[in-house]
Amino acid sequence: MITSPLARPASPGGPRFAVVGNPDNRRVSLFADAVRAAGLPGPRVVAWTDVLREKGAGFAPDEIVRIDSPGENREVDRLLRDTPDPTRVEGSARWYARFTTALRTLRGGIRLDDTGDLAVLFDKRVCHAVLDAAGVPVPASPTSGPGGAPVRGWDDVRTLMREHRMPRLFVKPAHGSSASGVLAVEAAGGGRIRATTSVERAADGRLHNSLRVRRYGSERDIAAIVDALAPDGLHLERWVPKASQRGRAADLRVVVVAGRATHAVVRTSRTPLTNLHLGGSRGDLASARDAVAAAGARWPDLLEVCERAASCFPRTLCVGVDLLPAVGWRRSFVGEVNAFGDLLPRLTGLPGSGAEGQDTYAAQVTAALRRTARPAPPVQNRNTPCLNPT
Amino acid sequence: MTIGDHLHTLYRLPAHTFPGPDGRTDGLPEADAVAWRITSDVYDADEEWPEAFARFCAAVETTRVRALIVGAWQEAYDAGPSSVIEALLAARERFPALRALFLGDMVMEECEISWINQADVTPLLAGFPALEEFGVRGGSGLGFTALSHGALRTLVVETGGLPVEVVRGIGASDLPVLEHLDLWLGTPDYGGDSEAADLEPILSGARLPRLRHLALRNSEMQDAVAAAVAAAPVVNRLDVLDLSMGVLTDEGAAALLSGQPLTHLKKLDLHHHYLSKPVEERVRRTLEPAGVEVDLDRDDAEEDTEDDGTVWRYVAVGE
Repeated sequence: MITSPLARPASPGGPRFAVVGNPDNRRVSLFADAVRAAGLPGPRVVAWTDVLREKGAGFAPDEIVRIDSPGENREVDRLLRDTPDPTRVEGSARWYARFTTALRTLRGGIRLDDTGDLAVLFDKRVCHAVLDAAGVPVPASPTSGPGGAPVRGWDDVRTLMREHRMPRLFVKPAHGSSASGVLAVEAAGGGRIRATTSVERAADGRLHNSLRVRRYGSERDIAAIVDALAPDGLHLERWVPKASQRGRAADLRVVVVAGRATHAVVRTSRTPLTNLHLGGSRGDLASARDAVAAAGARWPDLLEVCERAASCFPRTLCVGVDLLPAVGWRRSFVGEVNAFGDLLPRLTGLPGSGAEGQDTYAAQVTAALRRTARPAPPVQNRNTPCLNPT
Repeated sequence: MTIGDHLHTLYRLPAHTFPGPDGRTDGLPEADAVAWRITSDVYDADEEWPEAFARFCAAVETTRVRALIVGAWQEAYDAGPSSVIEALLAARERFPALRALFLGDMVMEECEISWINQADVTPLLAGFPALEEFGVRGGSGLGFTALSHGALRTLVVETGGLPVEVVRGIGASDLPVLEHLDLWLGTPDYGGDSEAADLEPILSGARLPRLRHLALRNSEMQDAVAAAVAAAPVVNRLDVLDLSMGVLTDEGAAALLSGQPLTHLKKLDLHHHYLSKPVEERVRRTLEPAGVEVDLDRDDAEEDTEDDGTVWRYVAVGE
């Protein structure tokens, strides 16, 4: 019986990790650092380019396999959605189809992720329905789940805004990530309308993600963008006014590892999009907790909501939950659950989370070793058949 | 920039949000110890503002309340606060100690400043003759008819575009004890259709004998405002002159410095400006030796230059 997995020496018979990722990406190096810091040999890195070109990859039965983001790599992006320009917004439906297909070509190993979970996590419409059914508070959506309304273009958005009395909403590509292609739309009487987005519409009509959040006030421009995005699938969600911190809109990214909320950051922004690469910045967690308490809510309840969201994906070791506290900090909603939401370098764990002093990667290594150290991990057993089709 | 924070204080009292319909109302602060923020929600409200106000009136000793902040009302992007104003006026006998009122404390995430639908606020000032502070956010639909008010010491109108009728209404009002006037003039894009000449009744100071703090800010025509202020009779009675948050360029600053001396001021606030370094220096050299505190923080004033050379400059709070 092994009581302290971390104390095990690196030996040929000891645990070993592999990671599917883009080898030069810092996600991979941060994870490799965490594995080595646990006294283990560095993980075998399996490049997404190889998985995609060779139509699969195999893993030894005792290899602990982590799937990491295929993002931020021009060649992988080209293989997944046929675009040579990574800033282009279009093509996310093709990306989704090829990504989920590629996941099914991974054979063997002890997996820390699940193909089915990932397929849900990368479809915001399905993910919304799964969360909603589990009692996780989510912003209302007319496009949730298989029965959701199709969105074929701007006219459909307008109709749904009217029918659902939703004058302010987020329009999100169903398979997007990192605010790519997201529009925050608000309308009022007299035909007044505005969209806030990082999408830049080029003169030829093509859409590009930029690092600058811009505002469109002409319905014609907004319609053109939405019409171009719609073939990839769109998810609509009510825009819940977010709480603020020091004059900036605030939300929380909460990382849940093995069922426990271990890490949290406040993200603040002057725009409705809080993503850090779009000018968002880290806010102050302590004052967020104070604001929650002052509003009569309980901080542990917020973490519990995130854990409940993560529990919808029990075969996935780690997710990053975007929690949106509403104005006043009294209520909160889950905006997104991110499969690759753990890139928070140097952030250490929450007090009492069991990950104090650990970053998100170290916490996952510890949890993975704890999970796989069990003689017959029931979760892995249940998982194996669909992952190892041989 | 946009409005990101709710008011922290009003009438020098810390703002305190009255709990929502499912919140607890035991352990509330003393009625006269805070500025009470009473709010509904712009979207998906559990209760309308008048209902929240009714709960407040039942839970708090209203006769001791000194300051009220009206937060969000339902669908403020489409609807003005007429039901709010009615509820306040109907309850005025219950608020004999009320000295400060703010209408429309909404942040960007709830409703952008220029999307807030306001109403004619004159009845509130008429209905509360003991008010010493009054503030309002949002210029769309805002009305202010010339009036006399013998107690008002502070008047704040925050907008992304202040209608000329409001500027004229304030200018034509008799406000014998007004000490602090703060007008956000905004931009024509959002209904700010006044011109510098419309400020003349304010700048003459004829009806504002006690004015000490004058802010004419957040203006797209900040240069013209500065030039008008340079020769304004009211300036020599001011402690604080605030021309911040607008599109103030070297032209406006030069006009301001070439006018009457400003060395009697305690503070000149020009933050969020588009001045060149030499002109910034000139402002400092002229005023700081005389003991004037000068705020020249550029803040987030950033020019955008298009390919054809067009330069865009922005007020601090528009949208």
